[in-house]
Amino acid sequence: MEAPTGTEEEEEERGNGFSVSAEERDRWIDRAMHMAQEALESGEVPVGCLMVYNNQMVGMGRNEVNETKNATRHAEMVAIDQVLNWCLRRSKNPAEVFQRTVLYVTVEPCIMCAAALRIMRIPLVVYGCQNERFGGCGSVLNISSDDLPNTGTAFQCIPGHRAKEAVEMLKTFYKQENPNAPQSKVRKLNGHKR
Amino acid sequence: MKKMEQVHCPGDQHGEGNLVPDPELSSWEALPVLPDHQTQGVELVWAYAIPVLDKKKTSRLVKEVSAIYPLVGQGHLKRVRACPDKTSPHALEILLCLASQGGDTVEGVRPLSELLPSGQIDWSDLGEPYLVHVPAHPPFTRAQFEEAKLHWPTVFHENKHISNALQGLLFSKEDKAKMQIYMEKAIHTARQGAERGMKAVGAVVVDPATEVVLAVGHDCSNASNPLLHATMVCIDLIAQRQGRGAYSFNAYPACTISPSGDRAIPLPAKSIQPGVVRKYESRQDGLPYICTGYDLYVTSEPCVMCAMALVHSRIQRVFYGASSPDGALGTRYKIHSKEDLNHHFEVFRGILGTECCSLDQKKQGQQCVSSQL
Ligand SMILES: [Zn+2]
Ligand SMILES: [Zn+2]
Repeated sequence: MEAPTGTEEEEEERGNGFSVSAEERDRWIDRAMHMAQEALESGEVPVGCLMVYNNQMVGMGRNEVNETKNATRHAEMVAIDQVLNWCLRRSKNPAEVFQRTVLYVTVEPCIMCAAALRIMRIPLVVYGCQNERFGGCGSVLNISSDDLPNTGTAFQCIPGHRAKEAVEMLKTFYKQENPNAPQSKVRKLNGHKR
Repeated sequence: MKKMEQVHCPGDQHGEGNLVPDPELSSWEALPVLPDHQTQGVELVWAYAIPVLDKKKTSRLVKEVSAIYPLVGQGHLKRVRACPDKTSPHALEILLCLASQGGDTVEGVRPLSELLPSGQIDWSDLGEPYLVHVPAHPPFTRAQFEEAKLHWPTVFHENKHISNALQGLLFSKEDKAKMQIYMEKAIHTARQGAERGMKAVGAVVVDPATEVVLAVGHDCSNASNPLLHATMVCIDLIAQRQGRGAYSFNAYPACTISPSGDRAIPLPAKSIQPGVVRKYESRQDGLPYICTGYDLYVTSEPCVMCAMALVHSRIQRVFYGASSPDGALGTRYKIHSKEDLNHHFEVFRGILGTECCSLDQKKQGQQCVSSQL
């Protein structure tokens, strides 16, 4: 989905009192797409994400499940830890930073990551395609907006940015993940490469 | 919708908050948290039934009708029933097919000529079709069966596992004694965490086949990492036991792992759940997939993040003590049995419920919330 061109003021989208311009959105989601493409080329799940605070990238991530043998190491969880480290190094209060941080991710966050984003109180998530299997922002459950008073705060989503490209990358990946398909070299390296 | 009810902790009702575990094990029950379709009332759908005018022709008609409408996926519905209306001129009726579903409403009744085009079957022995309500799914429990057969005769293959679970017959006294030991360990760890200023939540991962406690952890969340809930800590500890992991828990000596043995050759199953065949989902490197085959004992019901982390990790069973207000394994969601997800696991609540509730209350100063089955 490409937004029609117009002035930045007209294009602003708001999430929990937080807004980003169309120009910003396009720039950051473009970088996330590049990361996903890189992941695909090195045989990883093609999901790229980055976290932007004050117009600055403070964290980025890609799936590290194989590397860590920890099934919770999704791109978003990795990026959250990077932002926490960024805060630590600069003696910033993480709560204040996360409340003004936007997540750009190529695929709708899963149920687990959506809950983690709530707990971190991230106000806004810009994403590409739907996550039909695990999606927590509407596809399987609506964790992003459900009334969960003890699980952080709800967040706003702006879906559909370059969704087609993101879907194509996933399809390509799952084709090579097909257990009936002959094992490719890329697949075997999967567990040991970032 | 499921009925939700706020109940007090068992201990609150006596107003004493006695923390000494009952040696007779009589103070707690492991209550199954079943998917809604196994516990709720019977869901009904519309179907067409046709009166049989000549009783002697019934078996031939059933054969012919079954050939045209095989009722695939409705194997729980019997084909013929005695007409419930005793004043009716005919005694039997045949179930033909499901009516096209458009929510709660159905388009007008379709005539016999449309449902059974001429030439396929001899109409002279059949009356005009009419709509009846039939159970949409096979009944899982006896209660569901009793309700289902009021609408249409239904086949019932009792699911022993579910009915035993509902009657509290799944676990022997010996099983419960083991479960109590694991949960006591989780409670002890929760207290150790609380002493260091953490939220009083503890968790233990057990391999039920070997009865080895693999990992013990407490909630380590704080301002510098708000996501280290006890379950997330345990999942990473299991990864560490397999030589990897993402965090260091050196600052929390109560978070520990047992030394890793040779996991490629599991010991003969001494599983506390009879009749379950352990199967490992293999990873590319031949190791079992992260938490496959393992049980988690956790003092309070996992949140959405932790519950989904357990799906991703392929846990086998979860036992928790106290329910949580936003809990995702029974209270707000039943993520462990959500049909769209690729992995499901069993959940039991109430293990040392009173003691686990007290842990929670100390921290939150609020009453425990439990969902009634
Ligand atoms: Zn995720
Ligand atoms: Zn949690």
